[in-house]
Amino acid sequence: MNTKKLAAAGLAGVLLLAACGSDDDDGDVSAGDSGSDSAELEAPPEDTEATLRVWLNGPDTPDEMIDLAKSEFAEQYPNVTVEVERQEWDGLVNRLDTVLPTEDSPDIFEVGNTQAQSYEAAGAMVDLTAHREELGGDDLVDSLVEAGTYDDTFYGVPYYGGARIVVYRKDLFEKAGLEIPTTLQEFVEAGKALKADNADVPNFSGIYFPGRNWQATLSFIWDAGGDIAVNADGEWVGELSSDESVAGLETVQDIMQNANAAPADSDDAEDYLDFCNGEVGMLMGPGWKMGQITGEDGCPGKYDDVLGAFALPGSDGGVAPSFLGGSNLGISSKSENPALALEFLKVLTSETYQTEFAEIGLIPVRKSLLGEVQGDEAAQAQATAAEVTRFVPSSENWADVEGGNILQDMGTAIAGGADVQDEAARADESIVGILNG
Amino acid sequence: MTVVMPEEGTAPLPALPDDRRSWRSRRSRRSSRQGRDGGRRGGLLPYALLVPTLVGLGAGLGYPLVRLVVISTQEFGRAQQFGAPAPYVGTDNFTEIFGSSYFWDVLWRSLIFCAVNVALTIVLGTLLALLLARLGPVMRTGLSVALLLAWATPALTATIVWQWIFDARYGVVNWLLVRLGADYEGHSWLRQPLSFFFVGTLIVVWMGVPFVAFTLYAGMTQISREVMEAAAIDGAGGWQRFRDITWPALKPIFVVLVALSTLWDLRVFTQVFVLQQAGGIVRDTNTLGVYAFRQGGSGDFGLGAAVAVVMVGITLLLTLVHLRQMFRQEEV
Repeated sequence: MNTKKLAAAGLAGVLLLAACGSDDDDGDVSAGDSGSDSAELEAPPEDTEATLRVWLNGPDTPDEMIDLAKSEFAEQYPNVTVEVERQEWDGLVNRLDTVLPTEDSPDIFEVGNTQAQSYEAAGAMVDLTAHREELGGDDLVDSLVEAGTYDDTFYGVPYYGGARIVVYRKDLFEKAGLEIPTTLQEFVEAGKALKADNADVPNFSGIYFPGRNWQATLSFIWDAGGDIAVNADGEWVGELSSDESVAGLETVQDIMQNANAAPADSDDAEDYLDFCNGEVGMLMGPGWKMGQITGEDGCPGKYDDVLGAFALPGSDGGVAPSFLGGSNLGISSKSENPALALEFLKVLTSETYQTEFAEIGLIPVRKSLLGEVQGDEAAQAQATAAEVTRFVPSSENWADVEGGNILQDMGTAIAGGADVQDEAARADESIVGILNG
Repeated sequence: MTVVMPEEGTAPLPALPDDRRSWRSRRSRRSSRQGRDGGRRGGLLPYALLVPTLVGLGAGLGYPLVRLVVISTQEFGRAQQFGAPAPYVGTDNFTEIFGSSYFWDVLWRSLIFCAVNVALTIVLGTLLALLLARLGPVMRTGLSVALLLAWATPALTATIVWQWIFDARYGVVNWLLVRLGADYEGHSWLRQPLSFFFVGTLIVVWMGVPFVAFTLYAGMTQISREVMEAAAIDGAGGWQRFRDITWPALKPIFVVLVALSTLWDLRVFTQVFVLQQAGGIVRDTNTLGVYAFRQGGSGDFGLGAAVAVVMVGITLLLTLVHLRQMFRQEEV
């Protein structure tokens, strides 16, 4: 079935190339190749002419890195055009569901590591098991390989990892006479103290914590000993309404209501703008947040000297467990050039490219590079935070929990002052319903 | 349609017996000729002429509808979207939605939202139409342009602009309210479902009013000026003239407008969906169309299709009611 479709796609490719009036006989080589084999992909010849469409999400991959990848790939395949299209993380699941089964599908797409398994299970990605070694093999970070594997088959190539860190304003800390907190309780108190100290600034957040920032919320749940859901003999059981989780969520509510001015129903996508407005003391974000604040989209030069970062401390004085975010890349089953796409993936997982990730404060997917993470404060905080990472329930249905806005709704309600126990119970019911199919 | 309506609408007026008679006779003449010729030729030509329309309808509407109904009887998840065979589950999807209290919440929410929007659209549209009829040429042109712009703005654009206006942190509404001394600093308009739908209604009505206003205004221009003047001389006030002349004359138009607005406002999607992205609690603000889409978005297209089928059913029901009313009016 799949092979047939690929063959059909390949044929369509041939026809398309012919229609373009290309006199070059080499033009159809790659298209022919792609149709012949789905298990093992052979590198197409260097003079292949084609266009590769790549979907990357959010601001996570800076433009310079995209240019770097393109120029490296151009050395190998000068006649291939790589078109990178940026997608929003918000609503990604809907968009992928809609476009991947069609002829409009991109050749390569990025998907959150929590969402990857849904697409692997659905057959949306090309099987890359035979090419694991070429893409990094055992050097790839285990947890991201796990996210990219379904039913012992490797589909999703790890792209980068990231744990959330705290980004803060050193000048405001100094003004309020605060030290970097060493426990979670101190962190909360510092947030409140900052808010009190800057009461003259409208909309000021000691800790910027919008209701929909569920990834940050998880740290507090895990730190208190709770969890989202646990698998008991193949059946998922909701844990958000357990005493431990509720305690964690109550801390979150305390921060949202007493140290925060971010809207209860917004997410953290535009927190850097509020930060640039001088309305934020601390925020919890991915490693590249500092770069976003000091970069062109943010406010270059404004806070560069007073920006600091640390890993969220735990209640016990250690590091709080942090959600291991990250991305996987897949080759769409509908791609007309899977072999070519594979070659591009090799560039994206190469050491040169992955080192760049380390430098902008993300976790490279190659273990051999993990020691390299030293760069700035953000990168150091990132490395510390990455010591204790946890993951969402490992289920192919998890993407639907995210798509269903369940944790976001819970966060919004809690931020608005709703009863934590009630909201947690409601979320439990929805999540378990989805995870158990 | 709107050209015929007012003419017919003027029929009950005693001042226009000639018009009425001639219109009637024209119609009867036409129908009798049709009967004679049509009966003799009988041929396939009329049907052949219908084919392009039917093919278009079938392809554009029929196929998706059939597909929708089929999916609603299947277990259709993400794997099926990517080509796996979809098992037939009969009415399971329908049993599931009808059995969940959440579906009924969504249904009632949608119906109430729709009713409020239609009522507001019609009332405001009527008032604006009356205003258009009374304004001088310059002001009328100005108002028409303003209405036209509101009407021409794509729903997505309009929603995003309104969403910015009501933005919790940078919105002009909060800014203004704070300047006026109200405690609206950082107030989130979308967080509470009621105020979420207040913003939603504002957008839907804002976009719906122009059509109603223009159509009614067009109808009003067909009402004989003499009748209005005579009524005014006889001492009828503005309200009386509206109740006894304008309203009966334009009743068929009102029926059409209410029906169309109901259909539009029931299947409203963009406004609610985009506002949900911006803020609010999704679970408390889902309307039928958005709920159907979100079921698909959370990997259960079968369930989503079932919700959509229910929606189509309600829409068809409303259309039937509307058609019946239209035919009834024609008979009078």
